[in-house]
Amino acid sequence: MRLLPFAAMRRKISKRAAPYKERTVAATAVTLAAGLALAAAAPGAARALGETTLLDVRRVVYDGAHAPRPTAPRRIAWEVRKRTSIETRLRPGEARLDDPSIFESPLLYWTGDRGFPPLSDAEVAGLRRFVEFGGFVLIDDASPDGAGFDESVRRELGRAFPAAALTRLAPTHTVFRSFYLLDRPVGRVLGPDHLLGIERGGRAAVVYSRHDLGGAWARDNLGTWEHTVTPGGESQRESAIRLGVNLVMYALCLDYKDDQVHAPFIMRRRGGIP
Amino acid sequence: MVALRFGVGVPGGTAVAVLLLVAFVGVVWLSLRELRFEPNRRRSLVLGALRIATAAAALLLAVQPTWTGDRIQRAEGDLALLVDRSRSMSIAAEGTTRAGRAARLLGRWRDGSGADAVGTHAFGTSVRPASLAELAEGFDAADDETRIGAAVGELLRADVQGDLGAVVVLSDGAESARGPSAEELARHGVKVHAVAIGADEELCDDAIAEVQADAVAFVRQQARVRVVVRSLGGGGRPIPVSLRLGEQLVREVVAEPDEHGEAAVEIPFVPDDLGRAVYRLSIPVAPEDAVPENNDRAFLVRVTRDKLRVLLVAGRPSWDERFLRAFLKRDPAIDLISFFILRTAADLTMASPDELALIPFPTDELFSEHLGSFDLVLFQNFEYGPYQMGGYLPRIRDYVRRGGGFAMIGGDLGFASGGYAETPLAQILPVEMPPTGTPETRAVVPGSFTPRLASEMARHPLLELLPDPAANAQAWASLAPLEGANVITGLRGDGRALLSHPTERATDGSPMPVLAVGTEGRGRALALATDTSWRWGITTGGRTGDPSAYERFWDRALRWLTRDPSLEPARITTDRERYGPGARVRVEALLRDERYEPLADRAVRIALVDDTGQEIASSDVRVDGQGGAHAVLDGPGHPGGYRAVARALDADEPLAEEGFVVEAGGDELADPRPRPELLRRLAEATGGTFHDDPDEAPALADFDSTRTRSLGTTRIAPFASWWAFLIVVALFAAEWMVRRTWGRR
Repeated sequence: MRLLPFAAMRRKISKRAAPYKERTVAATAVTLAAGLALAAAAPGAARALGETTLLDVRRVVYDGAHAPRPTAPRRIAWEVRKRTSIETRLRPGEARLDDPSIFESPLLYWTGDRGFPPLSDAEVAGLRRFVEFGGFVLIDDASPDGAGFDESVRRELGRAFPAAALTRLAPTHTVFRSFYLLDRPVGRVLGPDHLLGIERGGRAAVVYSRHDLGGAWARDNLGTWEHTVTPGGESQRESAIRLGVNLVMYALCLDYKDDQVHAPFIMRRRGGIP
Repeated sequence: MVALRFGVGVPGGTAVAVLLLVAFVGVVWLSLRELRFEPNRRRSLVLGALRIATAAAALLLAVQPTWTGDRIQRAEGDLALLVDRSRSMSIAAEGTTRAGRAARLLGRWRDGSGADAVGTHAFGTSVRPASLAELAEGFDAADDETRIGAAVGELLRADVQGDLGAVVVLSDGAESARGPSAEELARHGVKVHAVAIGADEELCDDAIAEVQADAVAFVRQQARVRVVVRSLGGGGRPIPVSLRLGEQLVREVVAEPDEHGEAAVEIPFVPDDLGRAVYRLSIPVAPEDAVPENNDRAFLVRVTRDKLRVLLVAGRPSWDERFLRAFLKRDPAIDLISFFILRTAADLTMASPDELALIPFPTDELFSEHLGSFDLVLFQNFEYGPYQMGGYLPRIRDYVRRGGGFAMIGGDLGFASGGYAETPLAQILPVEMPPTGTPETRAVVPGSFTPRLASEMARHPLLELLPDPAANAQAWASLAPLEGANVITGLRGDGRALLSHPTERATDGSPMPVLAVGTEGRGRALALATDTSWRWGITTGGRTGDPSAYERFWDRALRWLTRDPSLEPARITTDRERYGPGARVRVEALLRDERYEPLADRAVRIALVDDTGQEIASSDVRVDGQGGAHAVLDGPGHPGGYRAVARALDADEPLAEEGFVVEAGGDELADPRPRPELLRRLAEATGGTFHDDPDEAPALADFDSTRTRSLGTTRIAPFASWWAFLIVVALFAAEWMVRRTWGRR
């Protein structure tokens, strides 16, 4: 990554529109110091032309369920904004699958910790059209030790995509190198060594995790992590956050990291593994 | 005169009629047998006659015998003479050209009876009146094509009064361009008599008879040309075939003619340079070769890239970037190179570089080394400043001026927010933007809006989501609104707004452009002052069920930016791609301005120019209301590559151009063999006579010019009437009454 001028860094922090021009060394040093201090605390306000241009980790609302990790979408949105150039909405929205507003923001975060009754036909049709038209759905099983949510979600995916089964995403899938280089998925629990997905038009349009990603991301307003991460502790939590960043990055960049130009850099850093 | 044909009207035709006849004969026979026991002979005769008459009448009513025929009128008509002046008539055998032999016959006809009553025409590429006396003195055979069927057909069409009775064709039959068939011509009822010239010739000729090459080849990829070599009287000796580009020998292969003297070879070649390339094929000329001109052929190849190379640079991952990349990657005709800024220096990745999949932004490699290899560069919500790219902006400007395509797509990092005002890119963009230093609050316009279509640009291909104008306007109205726009202060240069903001205004008070296009030098530029065009896809799909508008828009935008010929406002075509020396070149042009409005009533020059730009022939014409213009020009006299160009009289830059080649032989001499069988078939199909020896051809007055004209069809069906039915009923009634009267059942 090319080292960027201080002015750009300051702009990221201050979030003001200032054209690039030469800065004096003294001014730059002061700006850098102030910027670093601020950046450690918060990613700052987003720059965008409109609300819909911000990435919204929008939670799916459905009958028979409550939000098991209510702070998780906000937290991963915060982490994505802090760590990457993606501008996110820090107060994520929520929508039902039969709500036409799902087409305003092409990413949906669908989580649950128990079985739920069948979705309505309108909800199933909404899910199908959302994916067919280009949307991305991240499904997160918040109770991976139980079978309730897993059975229900597989049932509904079977209704929405009868011809497309959930399949394992290969360890070499772009999801694992869209921003961070990751070896395997982890969340609040270690879980299986793979993610599942439904391919649509050459992309993983639906990604299903049984690692309780939201459990690792959730953090209260005082900054306390809400759930213990096992067995790996805080390093595992960091990996879960990185996976969340990668998933959001994949939703926006698709197979960008499969472009040939990236291959030698990634292989060198992974010791020959793509 | 009427020649009648008999038929029957009963369903099932003759077979049913025969069955009915058998049935009726059987009934009559049985009835007559019954009458054997009638003691009164007179009654027996009356009853028998009545039964036979009734049965016969019923049979005729059922069978419905019918007589049909064509009413034909025969009358003495005029005689027309068609003399072949194509270049194949210049071929010599035994010291005399075919034209010379034809002239000898024409001299005999001129001096004989009936010459005054004959309308004489010359034909080849076209048909035009000629003088029999002048042709008889000898003539140049210079036409570039032989169109026998088309020439006869043209004479027949011109005979609106129906005076023509017969046409005498004097030709070698070496037709090089197909026209109406002999059967089609026969329907006019005009006889075609044919006199074949050179039918007995024994030609000795090596020729490149056929060349098949793709009109388009890809740079640095192997292409092939298929060549058919024909050797007449050559004894089957091998013939080397050379392929040259200019004077450079590209490849030489040897053709081995079969027992018919023909050989087909494929010659591979690899074009190295983009643009038009004229390749030449040649075979050696033997001393006894009758037609050395057909030993050289040429063909034109437009060398393009196999894929459109597109560079997409995005300032950050976003939905706008995601949907555009997905569209570009899905198109197999696009070679996409993309670079996205995934993090800036202010982002805290919480990881060492080795834990990241990030790579340096190779600015120098992209914008210094490889910029010229791209057909299109897209800056999507990208600010140049943080990447020390100021030094590359002049290169991008010059790249566009040399013919590249460039599009700036908005967002909070684009246009004025990206600091592009007063930069070299501002010199190629079709829009003006606020100056550098403008606060962001005044550099962008938040809020949802539905852009308005510029009515004066309604014909522009970028706005054409659907072909029908009303449906197209409806399609635009049904799109999801956009969210936020970059502030545009006006249009620059020849920039034209296609979409504008419904409420915001430019500096001059006009609606603020949201989508604008323009040209800079030989290149094209597009400015889209928003980063939410993706909403024309998935969001519109969620509302209407059809998300395709987004991809249709970008498909047309890319094709327009890269000058896809099918979307060009001005086009020019020639009637052929290959001509002989001095041939007439017909040029058609469709001329529209950058708004895609016809250049109606404008004076333009249509010209033929050589590779150095030297004008060979030209014609000043006026464009019609639909943008059409055409000219017929005398073609170049020397073999080589040429262009047909159309340009406004007050401008140097051509509006449109198209290439063609001139060959010494061309298609006309590719197969110089006389084809008397073609003339014989034409004569036989039309009821004319065929003569394979001009010295034995009859005098003009002896050709039958009786015209046969159909006056319609006559149909006689005597029993298809109520009277016939009543007669049958009356006969039945009479027989019944007589039988009852005489005590029979």
